[in-house]
Amino acid sequence: MGATTSVHRTIDAVWRMESAKVIAALARYTRDVGLAEEMAQDALVAALEQWPAEGVPRNPGAWLMTTAKRRAIDQIRRRENFNRKVEEIGREVQEATPDASEGIDDEIGDDLLSLIFTACHPVLGTEARVALTLKMLGGLKTEEIARAFLVSDATVAQRIVRAKKALADAGVPFEVPEGPELATRLASVLEVVYLIFNEGYSATRGDDWMRPELCAEALRLGRVLAELAPKEAEVHSLVALMEIQASRAKARTGPNGEPVVLLEQDRGKWDWLLIGRGLKALERAEALNQPPGNYYVQAALAACHARARKPEDTDWQRIAALYQVLAQISPSPIVELNRAVALSMAFGPAAGLALVDEISGEKALQGYHLLPSVRGDFLVKLGRTEEAKAEFEKAAALTRNEREKTLLLERAAACG
Amino acid sequence: MRFMVFVRSPKPVAARHGDSLLRAGVLLDAGDLVPHACGVSGYWLIDVRSREEAVERIRRIPLPACVVEIRQVAVV
Repeated sequence: MGATTSVHRTIDAVWRMESAKVIAALARYTRDVGLAEEMAQDALVAALEQWPAEGVPRNPGAWLMTTAKRRAIDQIRRRENFNRKVEEIGREVQEATPDASEGIDDEIGDDLLSLIFTACHPVLGTEARVALTLKMLGGLKTEEIARAFLVSDATVAQRIVRAKKALADAGVPFEVPEGPELATRLASVLEVVYLIFNEGYSATRGDDWMRPELCAEALRLGRVLAELAPKEAEVHSLVALMEIQASRAKARTGPNGEPVVLLEQDRGKWDWLLIGRGLKALERAEALNQPPGNYYVQAALAACHARARKPEDTDWQRIAALYQVLAQISPSPIVELNRAVALSMAFGPAAGLALVDEISGEKALQGYHLLPSVRGDFLVKLGRTEEAKAEFEKAAALTRNEREKTLLLERAAACG
Repeated sequence: MRFMVFVRSPKPVAARHGDSLLRAGVLLDAGDLVPHACGVSGYWLIDVRSREEAVERIRRIPLPACVVEIRQVAVV
């Protein structure tokens, strides 16, 4: 029993390491990601049947690959589809021997990248892209994905089946996009990776055990992507952003699980190894000299905080300047509000108040409690307590979060 | 979970052989140490999903005549 479980754990590990490569290589031969994924699953079932009795082969990745390819040929033959594909795959299988000494690592890069682009294709909805990516690239089981997203196994299974069908129906080619298409396709990939990260990072949903696992998965995916597409600055920027955010994981909640805001976090609890990695990734992005993208600015903002050993060392002028860049790339009143806070930290509350008053007419900010809350904060610092009191009360009436409401009312009361 | 992998060899080899770990997105840090007779000559710090994965990944790195020790990093 003990030996069996240990073999199963090894199979689990091998699967997570090899499945993406097996699916990617199969998809290149069959030009059918859905079929490739099914055949890889079949190979896993075969491994679960054979390895506990026969032992784990010396090169488990090559074993999975060969088995999956054989199944793919059978499948295609069964469909009576004797076309060029069969010959091609047949040749490949003869060439690949299960104990080939170097495994399947080396020339797989482009296939893996094609698989990422396919799983994150914009014809798919967000949930489908996330599920397919975790399944095919992360090697997660359907149950694990379901657990992470608080939905039933059947829901995830159905999402994946539908996604594969949608890819086939749309005739999505298995390839790395080029030219003008690349930018939008890459944005779609990065969006999925960051969504997975945030799903793990947000404290509001999901299982305790799967949540950090999602962050780790997104980080690994991002790092793999950075090696596969080293000339894309936004990839390095996203990695930097995730490394720096992950570095604060232990400091961002208090002993009772309550959130601790950035400036009040114990920086000794930050993971300085991850910060170092994040700053290095940011340097790689900068070295490419590409126009700043959204992830770059966000990562650069995170880096401003990460570089400061104490909150008072924070470079607020740079933060204000970065928000200005962000406002140009993706203009939003929320960004302006953040810029106002940075300006007040850099140049005093009057500078912040001036910007807030400039944007307070914006439609998107109406009913947004942070606007009066931030304004109240500036007014307190300027000694205009009576006006501040009114702002805090206004903010308290707007927020739906009870804890925040109490806090705002306390601030209003403190204004006398 | 994180594992520190200590490589023992007469000559430092860790820094040169970490490529597969890097491409897999699991390598956090790597380094060689100043030579010391038959002692630890280098290390990898990796972030993987299980001890089995750590063992499988390290097992596949061709390191002739080396002893490797895989230790889990304690979570504080």
